[in-house]
Amino acid sequence: MRTSGGFRLGLMLLLSPMLLWLLLLIILPHINMGIISLSERVSSNNYVFSLNNYEEFFAESLYWNTFLRTALMSILATILTLLIAFPVSYYIAKMLKGRSKGLVFALCLIPFWVSELVRTYGWMILLRESGVFSNFLQWLGLADGPVEFLYNDIAIMVGLVYTSMLFMVVPLVTTLDSLDNSYIEAGYDLGGNGFTVMREIVIPHATPGIVSGCIVVFMLTLGNYLTPALLGGKDSLWFTEQIFTQFITRFNWEQGSAFGILLLVLSSLIVWLGLKVTRQSFTRVMS
Amino acid sequence: MTTSSPIDLIDLECRQIRKTFDRYFTAVDDVSFSIPRGSFFSILGPSGCGKTTLLRMLAGFEQPTSGEIFIKGKSVTRTPPNKRPVNMVFQHLALFPTMTVAENIAYGLRRRRVGKSEIADRVKSVLKRVGLPDSGYKKIDQLSGGQKQRIAIARCLVLNPDVLLLDEPLGALDLKLREHMKVELKQLQEEFGTTFVYITHDQSEALVMSDQVAVMNNGVFEQQGAPRDLYYQPQTAFVAGFVGESNRWLGKVTSTNHAGIELMTDSGLKLSGQFGAEQSLVVGDRVEVFVRPEAISLSRGGGDSKGQNRLRCDVGNVLFDGAKSQVLVVDPVTDGEITVSLPQTADFASLIRGEPLALAWTAEQTRCFRAEG
Repeated sequence: MRTSGGFRLGLMLLLSPMLLWLLLLIILPHINMGIISLSERVSSNNYVFSLNNYEEFFAESLYWNTFLRTALMSILATILTLLIAFPVSYYIAKMLKGRSKGLVFALCLIPFWVSELVRTYGWMILLRESGVFSNFLQWLGLADGPVEFLYNDIAIMVGLVYTSMLFMVVPLVTTLDSLDNSYIEAGYDLGGNGFTVMREIVIPHATPGIVSGCIVVFMLTLGNYLTPALLGGKDSLWFTEQIFTQFITRFNWEQGSAFGILLLVLSSLIVWLGLKVTRQSFTRVMS
Repeated sequence: MTTSSPIDLIDLECRQIRKTFDRYFTAVDDVSFSIPRGSFFSILGPSGCGKTTLLRMLAGFEQPTSGEIFIKGKSVTRTPPNKRPVNMVFQHLALFPTMTVAENIAYGLRRRRVGKSEIADRVKSVLKRVGLPDSGYKKIDQLSGGQKQRIAIARCLVLNPDVLLLDEPLGALDLKLREHMKVELKQLQEEFGTTFVYITHDQSEALVMSDQVAVMNNGVFEQQGAPRDLYYQPQTAFVAGFVGESNRWLGKVTSTNHAGIELMTDSGLKLSGQFGAEQSLVVGDRVEVFVRPEAISLSRGGGDSKGQNRLRCDVGNVLFDGAKSQVLVVDPVTDGEITVSLPQTADFASLIRGEPLALAWTAEQTRCFRAEG
């Protein structure tokens, strides 16, 4: 006979990997980072409590400008990803049927079997001065010499949108799939056209998927290091690069930790604002 | 079997509608019919008979492979669904869950660019007419099954369509509510005076509500007529078997005369029967025989009752179901079971298993059809 005590033990055993994961990889490092960020080195092995690291962020315009730029670029990348992913997802979920639906969906996923680093290098092969696009333009006679497409904001944007695509397509296909075709047909039957059916029926239904896709894409973009560094070059001014510099180049862990905490707090704030504006609740969006 | 109304009183007419899928599967096969204004027309058939495809062609979601559809005398065959003067109540109603009741009803009016205050008035009046005057602010999931039903109909009727199409909307309701909604749908139809085209596989829904019923099977209309005619004068074996309950035998014609035929069932019963006027049967033809449970009269202890067909049987099981109670009797000669309606008189209240009963029914109530194959 199974007792309630046995049941509870089973539940604990099942949950323990997740709890350990949360504790060891998320909670503990953040507590540690929080403590480090609140200390200041006076001399070797002598640390005191201080808010200096946080003050530094707001005092030095480079830092918060970089953060602002990163946030705005991330928001733009999220919007662009949504605009491209929505028609793709609608096509997969509502226009295709059976085998071709699975096939096209798989085609969207396959590029993500390759590591992000390799995919980013793929873009570099296309965009660099001696790359495919540059040579093609010269061959067409549209350019006199090599053209550099890398190391600008547009290159960063292209890379970010491409990297994020999957994380937008999956939730969108899932929510659009759950919209019964009879709702769309009813929308037309009662006199709607393609535009009004989209605005009044499809988009309201897909809003939780849109918002959850946007949150994931925004967070990933904001925390992305590889794509801005490789496609944007040294001067891409991405906030994660500031954190990297503090930790690795300047060996200033206190400042780096403060930046890390600030990134978490400020990005959470932006997501919270986004949810307020679209009048969605976090639990509903994530379920 | 079309009603001979003048053309301007016909709301919907189909001429030789055909729909084939993938070139070889014919879902609807040259169906023609016309529906007079303000009537309740049902298409009754088993699942897979093509009735849903037919309805979707009327709504405009499917294009007929050939044939024409006319609404009030105008061809709409190539009119898209959002421009047709027909509206549809979907099987699962398809009320938009992201909108309130009032927004759902206003949706179609907004598409027609009706003014805001007029929309409010019309929504209010249609809600009153379907008996839910204070539900406008509610969310769809706050409504009961029957209320959703009425809102789905109101959402269509507020647009004053020429024809309202209904795709088995009662299917999802529980039995009690379904019985209630049958009556209510009929009343709504009479009150609004709109032509209803209703498809269902439930014969009781079709018989109770309709002015005209078409029985559909394998893509064709087997028979079209008033519910009473379908029930008492089925023209084909399919209609006789599908509409209402019947005892069914297979047999062979043993002799014919001017009034009917004599036949022997495969189980060994000798019966006299009649066949439809259009059919001619000769000795040796295979026939399907149908007798309704309520056509058979019962008597206890060998009292005499009328009918050319007489049998002495034993009581098998009594299936008590109130006014619809039946008794299964066993014919001792052939060991076959026959279902007979139990008369609601005190005489039969105490039937016990094994008790002998005399059965009798007339030749007119023994309907014979040529068996296929």
